[in-house]
Amino acid sequence: MVHRMLRVDHAGEYGANRIYAGQMAVLGRSKTGPFIQEMWDQEKKHLEKFNEILAENRVRPTALLPFWNIAGFVLGASSALLGKEGAMACTVAVEESITEHYNSQIRTLMEKDPERYTELLQVIKEFRDDEMEHHDTGLAHDAENVPGYWLLKNAIQLGCKAAIYVSQRI
Amino acid sequence: MAALLRGLRAGRALRGLSSVVAAPTATNPQCGSLRRGFRCAGLRLQDESKSDKPPSSTSSSTTYHEHYQARSAEQDTVASASDPAADQSTDPNTSYQDQSGEQDEEYETEEQLQARILTAALEFVPLHGWSMEAIAAGAESLGLSSASTGMFEKGSGDLVLHFIAQCNAQLTEILAEQHNQVQLGQAEPKKTADFIRDAVETRLRMYIPYIETWPQAMSLLLLPHNIPDSLKHLSTLMDDIWYYAGDRSTDMNWYTKRAALTGIYNTTELVMIQDSSPDYQDTWAFLDNRIQDVVNMATTAKQVQSTGEAVVQGLMGAAVTLKNLTGLNQRR
Repeated sequence: MVHRMLRVDHAGEYGANRIYAGQMAVLGRSKTGPFIQEMWDQEKKHLEKFNEILAENRVRPTALLPFWNIAGFVLGASSALLGKEGAMACTVAVEESITEHYNSQIRTLMEKDPERYTELLQVIKEFRDDEMEHHDTGLAHDAENVPGYWLLKNAIQLGCKAAIYVSQRI
Repeated sequence: MAALLRGLRAGRALRGLSSVVAAPTATNPQCGSLRRGFRCAGLRLQDESKSDKPPSSTSSSTTYHEHYQARSAEQDTVASASDPAADQSTDPNTSYQDQSGEQDEEYETEEQLQARILTAALEFVPLHGWSMEAIAAGAESLGLSSASTGMFEKGSGDLVLHFIAQCNAQLTEILAEQHNQVQLGQAEPKKTADFIRDAVETRLRMYIPYIETWPQAMSLLLLPHNIPDSLKHLSTLMDDIWYYAGDRSTDMNWYTKRAALTGIYNTTELVMIQDSSPDYQDTWAFLDNRIQDVVNMATTAKQVQSTGEAVVQGLMGAAVTLKNLTGLNQRR
């Protein structure tokens, strides 16, 4: 069970990295560039940490990584092509999904055996706080002003749910 | 319900006592077995030499509620067979027995019994092949009835899987020991290719005593009901070898490395079963060549990647130069 959780978390951070890479490819030289870069750097650190954890626990990474590689970049780039608001809306949607996902993992671990998983719980809590910060940054930068915000946000969140489901298993 | 179980436990304890008392007088245990499930029917032959051992162990005191526990234990059979070092006596924890703490050191689970029979059966494989005869002979050599082969639903596949699990466990022990030695600084770490080579050779050498009958074993493993388990054992083996070789990758390399090693391992195994050279030298030469192939492929892949990157840089440089020449780069 923990292996599945770690696998999907690793896939999530990898995907988030690629999304920000896509956004930077389009908006890197604009005013929002530095903000996206900062969030991207934090995601890079998250990914590094999960790489370590996976290696320590001998967890198999998800076989869909190449797919998340491309899908993430395409999502980031296309949302950025809708302008800065589009990129921020994408960030808000993804970060909200990830926060919800981390919260449910924290709940599961707390129910199971908090003492045994203290370190992992700490890591997940810290990362969840970072992701919430990204979410708030996105909102602060006019995410809601993108046309079709509701549609875009829900479509992306649906995609995230599907990605989480699949990455746990494959 | 609980009272009924307590009664049963008390009954079993009494039966255990009575069989201890009865053993020296050579009472036929067959009549006792009629009261127990068919699963236990063939399990104990009267054996004078064994009467000294406390007979409450193994199988003679199985009652029907233990049968249920054994059923759930059987789900873990493969898991525990593949890891004999694991604590088998705590596996079937759903039993009511556990709550009374009646599992003393002499109690044996069904998986442990199966493991013992299969281990004993391995001795008879050169004679009978990987078959139910070998398992029956193994059971008889332990003083059990040959009817106990009924326990093995997958038949001779169980015997092969047990042997493979045993070999994998041995290899893991050896690799872990080597790993410790390197950690303690008492040994030099090997290069990856050498490590892989030695690990595969060590593992395949475990087949040498059974090499005559190994083709039969391999074909047994290809039967549909044996495939999931044999694949599981194979993938665990590959993962273990790479882990101890130092692989800590968390991307597609995880998959490509294991796939490559599986290819090397399987082809080398096939070469081995028809190799007649002294000490299987041809096999080890084949293994060396295959490993070298993979190493070369990896090196070539890296070279292709760096060449590709260099080419891209060159093209970008050419594009910028062109833009400069045609004046498109000027800002006015």
